[in-house]
Amino acid sequence: MIESLAALASASSKTASVFGTGEFGLALPGVRQTAPAAGAATFGDLMSQVAGQMRDTVKTGEAAAISGIQGKASTQSVVEAVMSAEQTLQTAVAIRDKVVAAYLEIVRMAI
Amino acid sequence: MIDPLAASSRIAGAGMGAQSERMRVISENIANAQSTGQTAGSDPYIRKTITFRTALDRASGTAAVAVREMGEDKAPFKVEYDPGNPAADQNGNVKLPNVNMLIEMADMREANRSYEANLQMIKQTRSMVASIIELLRP
Repeated sequence: MIESLAALASASSKTASVFGTGEFGLALPGVRQTAPAAGAATFGDLMSQVAGQMRDTVKTGEAAAISGIQGKASTQSVVEAVMSAEQTLQTAVAIRDKVVAAYLEIVRMAI
Repeated sequence: MIDPLAASSRIAGAGMGAQSERMRVISENIANAQSTGQTAGSDPYIRKTITFRTALDRASGTAAVAVREMGEDKAPFKVEYDPGNPAADQNGNVKLPNVNMLIEMADMREANRSYEANLQMIKQTRSMVASIIELLRP
């Protein structure tokens, strides 16, 4: 039982490192914890990074739209900037949703 | 390494930019199809041409397109007998621009079609990216 739990925990930490979260900081009683790698991003770091990236892309799109309205940029470049902002935003939101869902899944795990 | 789909979007954008420039040149030619010279016997508007070249997109390392140069058509001018025109020479002949409306219209169609093809490329790329992101959604 303990071995299978440990395997599950290490598997989940591997999955988490795919998303760049590293350790979730879960303390499973009686299960040997692997020491988090130095400089590994925590879940909070990831969330703030995603939020910052979203803010930056939205800002870029807005700046492009404003310069387009002022006639400084061509319609095409405005559309391109807004489209790329939208795409980055959608990717970030989708990844965030997935990571939060994974996190909740682990939180709800019956021990 | 840049995302190939993002790169293809950028390349298609470069293609649309090039065709926009081409449309600008064609509209200049059509607008100036009757522009004669300022003084008697002087040359009229010379038809402009545009050529494209492959441009390396440094950000993605891919082959995009750019305008090579804006040239001038070396075809001879049309000459019409019109002594009343201020640009007429002493024999009453006026030099008219070497712009052929039929050629300009054909060029315009071609630029339009090429623009549409690049636009379709962007649309397709966008839908592919959207569908791969859709995989993440529950």
